[in-house]
Amino acid sequence: MAGITFKNVVKTYDNGVTVIPDLNLEIKDKEFVVLVGPSGCGKSTTLRMIAGLEGISEGDLYIGDTLMNAVPPKSRDIAMVFQNYALYPHMTVYKNMAFALTLKKEPKEEIDRKVREAAEILGLTEYLDRKPKALSGGQRQRVALGRAMVRNPSVFLLDEPLSNLDAKLRTEMRSQISKLHKQLGTTFVYVTHDQTEAMTMGDRICVMKDGIIQQFDTPQTLYHKPCNLFVAGFIGSPQMNFIDAVVEKTDTGYAVVFGDTKVPCGREELAPYVGKEVVLGIRPEHLLGEDKDLGGTNTLTAEVDLDEMMGSETFLYFNYAGAKMIAKVPSSIVAPTGSMVTLAVDPTRIHIFDKESGEVVLN
Amino acid sequence: MQEKRTSYGRTVLAYVVLIILAFLCLFFFYILIINATRNHSQIQQGFSFIPGGSFFVNFHNVINDANIPVLSGIKNSLIVSACAAALATYFSALTAYGLYAYEFKLKRPAFIFIMLILVMPTQVSALGFIRLITQMGMMNTLWPLFLPSIAAPAVFYFMYSYMQSSLPLELVEAARIDGSSEFRTFNRIVLPIMKPAIAVQAIFTFVTTWNNFFIPALVITDNSKKTLPILIAALRSADFMKFDMGKVYMVVLISILPIIIIYILLSRYIIAGVTLGGVKE
Repeated sequence: MAGITFKNVVKTYDNGVTVIPDLNLEIKDKEFVVLVGPSGCGKSTTLRMIAGLEGISEGDLYIGDTLMNAVPPKSRDIAMVFQNYALYPHMTVYKNMAFALTLKKEPKEEIDRKVREAAEILGLTEYLDRKPKALSGGQRQRVALGRAMVRNPSVFLLDEPLSNLDAKLRTEMRSQISKLHKQLGTTFVYVTHDQTEAMTMGDRICVMKDGIIQQFDTPQTLYHKPCNLFVAGFIGSPQMNFIDAVVEKTDTGYAVVFGDTKVPCGREELAPYVGKEVVLGIRPEHLLGEDKDLGGTNTLTAEVDLDEMMGSETFLYFNYAGAKMIAKVPSSIVAPTGSMVTLAVDPTRIHIFDKESGEVVLN
Repeated sequence: MQEKRTSYGRTVLAYVVLIILAFLCLFFFYILIINATRNHSQIQQGFSFIPGGSFFVNFHNVINDANIPVLSGIKNSLIVSACAAALATYFSALTAYGLYAYEFKLKRPAFIFIMLILVMPTQVSALGFIRLITQMGMMNTLWPLFLPSIAAPAVFYFMYSYMQSSLPLELVEAARIDGSSEFRTFNRIVLPIMKPAIAVQAIFTFVTTWNNFFIPALVITDNSKKTLPILIAALRSADFMKFDMGKVYMVVLISILPIIIIYILLSRYIIAGVTLGGVKE
């Protein structure tokens, strides 16, 4: 069991492109950390550096207390699950899972016990004699997990393992992987571009962009207190609404003004921004549509461009104050496309960002 | 109705063309087989569709001719062809894997160099090759007939394109993480995946080597070490008094039999080989 530490790690490819300019990251022992970000943000490279599949140009990487810079993958005590499963096509499920143990020259009975145990946990017992070709996507992914499990590694690396599965299976596997983490009590590092996977599985989430860590924190903190516009926009579905607004001083404190809407806010962090433009962030679920919420200055009225009924809630798409916005309201509120709807901005749930730097002013 | 008639006409036309093509291909085999059953004077009288009665006489003559050691010729040809097929496929796959799976500075020049060798005809380098093997003391041995197969650019290129379509590098990485050494990864993971490509190239190399006359004729002088194509040539150039066409046809028949058997057994792979490599599975 081991934590992982990146100290000023730089990754530059032979063609001179630097994908990771300076990475400092500490993953605790037994933690489930999700690396998330858009494609090309360096999350997979980071994972591959942990695995030893990519070299490190500068800086140090530790697994536990051991410096790993020059240690080959097989000596790192890690296991990895790949996006395309990477199962050996000519071997049966059993042999795929047993391969690493055979190489370690473990006794046959021991290998058999471990493989059957993992197969049992993953529900693969009846498929042990099949070849990967004869399995469905979900089963293949479980074999890939099983192959990693039997080795009992100190670090489990998963590179977008669910992206090839359909939506239903993905949800199922998500909970299976979370359960597995609890069962195994091992450090998990999971790479994904899907924020839902990140939010539901990670103990902590590391949001990356252009090789730089934007924020590394618990899902709750990322959702409630994003540190900049990028994180605020990346975490949460549908995405947070961003509106250009101006801060005004009022009798009771301050107000954030956009269009005809004035959202009161008493927080002193706004003092330096009086009269200046800021970016107001409000999540779709914090635009309230019930009668009891309406009536203040914090309301806005707009024409619904599109309404999407999702079951328990409805997504309303509209334009307001030059911004495209989405509201997520209870489906009891009926606002068909083309109708006018009035919504209130929940003043306690707004996020204000500096327009220049994109950094958060208040959450 | 009209449409049905055209499609019927097309089928008939297709069959006629195919029958003509099949006839052109198979007719020579038919002549060969028929003539192998006839004696020298019958063959000289001209062609006949009906088999003669000298099959066993011809066979007996061939087997018992001390100057034409057919049995050892078959053995030599088998050894040389099998070794060449094994070496060409294994080492070409290994080279292709090296260039496919590893990143190194001279990767591109190495690839171009191999491709350049591909366009070089054997005859150009034959003289140098003979001098080389003479100095290495390999003249008049079977070694120089199959050892050069280790460097087979065409087989390499085939393997390389097959890898591009069928060997994801993730597999190699997974094996590395599983603790497999580089060589073991090649032998236990890559080679089994390459099986279809290896089968196809093994057949082609086997047949080419089996039919090869040029290099064996230059290298082998001992009767007991001669391969079948040289023996056939020796028969044909035998002196006028002893010249027996029945024997020549019989030796040719014997020499093509193993190839025909291999073709029939592995035709599935040969057909697959035509489309192999290009299509991503």
